[in-house]
Amino acid sequence: MRRLFDRAFTLLVVSAGLLALMLFVAIAGYLAWRGLGAVDLDFLTQPSRGAGAEGGVRYQLLGTLILIATALAAAVPPALGIGIYRGVYLTRPQARRRVSLLLFVANGVPSILYGIFGLAVFGQLLGWGKSWLAGGLLLGMMILPTLTLAFAERVDAIPKKYLEAAAGLGLRRAQIVRAVILPQSLGGLVSGALLGLARAAGETAPILFIAAVFSGATVPHGIVESPVLALPYHIFVLAQDSFQPEAETHLWAAAAVLLGVVLVFALVALPLRIRLHEEAHHG
Amino acid sequence: MFFLVLAVLALPAAGGRALKVNGSSTVTPVVADAADLLQQTAGLEIVVDPAGGSSGGISALGDGRVDMAMSSRPLEPGDHSKFPSTDFRPVTIGYDAVAMVVSRDVWQGGVHALSRQQVRDIYEGRIKRWSAVGGPDRRIVFFDKEPGRGTWAMFAKWAYGDTQKAPLVSFPKVGSNQETRTKVASTPGAMSQLSASWTDGETIFALGIRRPDASVVYPTREEIAAGHYPIRRPLLVITDGPATGAAKTLLDLLLSERGQALVEKHGYLPLEKPAATEAH
Amino acid sequence: MIPARPARRSLTRWFCLAVSGLTALAFAGMVALFAFESLPVWRHAGFEYLRGHQWFFRAQRFGALPMVYGTLAVSALALLLAAPVGLGSAVFVAEILPARLRLPAKTAIELLAGIPSVVYGLLGVLLLRGWMLRVLAPFEPLSGDTLATGGVLLAVMILPTVVTLGDDALRGVARSQRQAARALGLTRAETIVRVSLPQALPGLVAALLLALGRALGETIAVFLVIGRQDNQWPEHLLSPASLAAAGQTLTTKLGGSETHIAYGDPLHWAAMVALALVLAILVASVTLAGTWLGRPRLAGAASANLPSPAGGDPGDPHA
Repeated sequence: MRRLFDRAFTLLVVSAGLLALMLFVAIAGYLAWRGLGAVDLDFLTQPSRGAGAEGGVRYQLLGTLILIATALAAAVPPALGIGIYRGVYLTRPQARRRVSLLLFVANGVPSILYGIFGLAVFGQLLGWGKSWLAGGLLLGMMILPTLTLAFAERVDAIPKKYLEAAAGLGLRRAQIVRAVILPQSLGGLVSGALLGLARAAGETAPILFIAAVFSGATVPHGIVESPVLALPYHIFVLAQDSFQPEAETHLWAAAAVLLGVVLVFALVALPLRIRLHEEAHHG
Repeated sequence: MFFLVLAVLALPAAGGRALKVNGSSTVTPVVADAADLLQQTAGLEIVVDPAGGSSGGISALGDGRVDMAMSSRPLEPGDHSKFPSTDFRPVTIGYDAVAMVVSRDVWQGGVHALSRQQVRDIYEGRIKRWSAVGGPDRRIVFFDKEPGRGTWAMFAKWAYGDTQKAPLVSFPKVGSNQETRTKVASTPGAMSQLSASWTDGETIFALGIRRPDASVVYPTREEIAAGHYPIRRPLLVITDGPATGAAKTLLDLLLSERGQALVEKHGYLPLEKPAATEAH
Repeated sequence: MIPARPARRSLTRWFCLAVSGLTALAFAGMVALFAFESLPVWRHAGFEYLRGHQWFFRAQRFGALPMVYGTLAVSALALLLAAPVGLGSAVFVAEILPARLRLPAKTAIELLAGIPSVVYGLLGVLLLRGWMLRVLAPFEPLSGDTLATGGVLLAVMILPTVVTLGDDALRGVARSQRQAARALGLTRAETIVRVSLPQALPGLVAALLLALGRALGETIAVFLVIGRQDNQWPEHLLSPASLAAAGQTLTTKLGGSETHIAYGDPLHWAAMVALALVLAILVASVTLAGTWLGRPRLAGAASANLPSPAGGDPGDPHA
């Protein structure tokens, strides 16, 4: 009887696992099949034509890179600041927990809310029109919790003996931060940054109203009234007109490029994170 | 982050600006092609964005957020009253017709034309099946154009006399012309409002309008040009005050033979007499 | 904790405090802005905003209930579909999968979670709509754009999150517990059911809540497949047939063209921002509950489990 239950349960669980696996293989396979065939070097380097539906994705790729670079620049200093403040200057564990809690909640903010916030602040209040900087700042705000949490986790994981040794040598807190904490925890910041970049590259909702246009923009000139093209927005608009066969090829190629960008960051982050986990767990 | 903040404060607000054009997704293909042309020949940077439709473009122009608006409906008193300080100068670059469009199964099932009353009945939910208007026994899947679209405004004017008089109904929404085409073509029993030139006669068909005397007028080129088809609309490019600089260049191109060829290329009706050919 | 002399006037400390404060200000400012800019519609409609079934902006009637229903319906469906498969897979990965396969499995799950929502939306538009039209045929949907379609798509999107967080929760149960159980003669299934699952329960519930949070906030993918039909209030709330109709969620309304239209009109704009406020409160509550339940891992150092809505998991201490 018990053996029967054991078998039945195992079967159930394995089926669930296989179902999930099949889903993954199906999705990944389909994306690879549709996307890989359509991309070539021309596609990456040519600008789009015909109001965006033909040609390449040169400026969409550029726009996405501009946006995520800005997001990174905007997110790294606060991530460092919050992580260090929490790890070094907040002594009570409850306080640290509260900060982590807030970061988790911030991490879960729906991306469309950043879009609305951006429209209200940069559009109405500041009157910037569509601006790449607005998009970058919003994306930076969005990925800030991810970076901070990754960094803070690493700060927490620094073995006490290093800190005690440094204190024993007479270093002040600030010096300890520079000499011990930062070098030890930078890996966490880097891996968090890579994940954040991967996410920022793929987001449409924050840039929908206030940063991206569908056609005409190339390299932004200034800050205000300087939109960019962006891969996810491009795909989003085209997905609403997916009936024409020619448009479909272009669409899949653009999706493949976007996935490529995301994948690059995710894959680079992976070995780094694994190394960090091994150290944290066994080191 | 600090030097970014500094940069924001230090840089002047405007910097090497591109011309910004917002508005109707109907007019967009023409203006986008013209913009491409000017980019290649004269190096002009023109950003064309169909977000928001005709009303969105007009609002953006009124707010001063864009340099030109594209509209597939004429300006209304409401536009002027909403933006009293804007000197709207519309220029017609071509004509288009709005048609009630249906999917293939409906067309092949025998529905080729509808009267205004029938359209009203469908829109208000009194007629729910195609069989009531001579078609197959299938539910009518009506996709309503988003309210900000010029296409919707033209439909409402024709069906109800005024956009304000249109009844408050809830149907699944479609946005751009592209999305309308996709949804109608891929859904059996579908119907929506669409620019007549966006139909292909294979997957999506434009219905004729049955007049009170039982004659039918189809949205063909000839009928639209002759003014027989009632839901005809001008394709407008609007500026705040007379067009100057890059805006004027774009406008001149659109009105020239080359620009009018673009209008025709996208299936719309060119103006009767195009302006003298430009040097571009 | 650093056992060093605290320096009151440290530049480092002030820098850190300043940026932390700025960040807090930004996020708090966002909520405050939503509250402030939505005031006109609260004055105009009061509670009717949350209870009203009708949203006709031309007539200045703003009732958000059908959209709240839409949001909850698609998310509930997504969770209903993803929970059994996801938790089952989590058990599979945590308890049954051989150790050398763990790494590729976790990698695969995280990559799947990292796929941008617009790509999921594309898959939904091109593949799912047609399939759902056939599957839902007994309920006679008008087209493939339905709440159910949105729910199924969301289920696929949150599945990796459920699996990875569930796996973390299960791995958090000490090995010694499992070994003791096996030593006492329990079968593997019994060990899982009687020892691992009960101990991991808060973490598992947290996983579901956090996945729910992601589903509630998803815009782009749902936008493309849900039909965006307003005022869809079902006759029978819990009947499956009501899901076979097009609908609208808080997110799809916000992401649509009405936001552009509302831009210049104070009351209309207030109505849209109020939607944002409602969404923010809803998601924050769910995320808070989920994080609170997963709390034991927050207190620890390297055991912090760091889910993000994109599934990017910056810390996997049990890998």
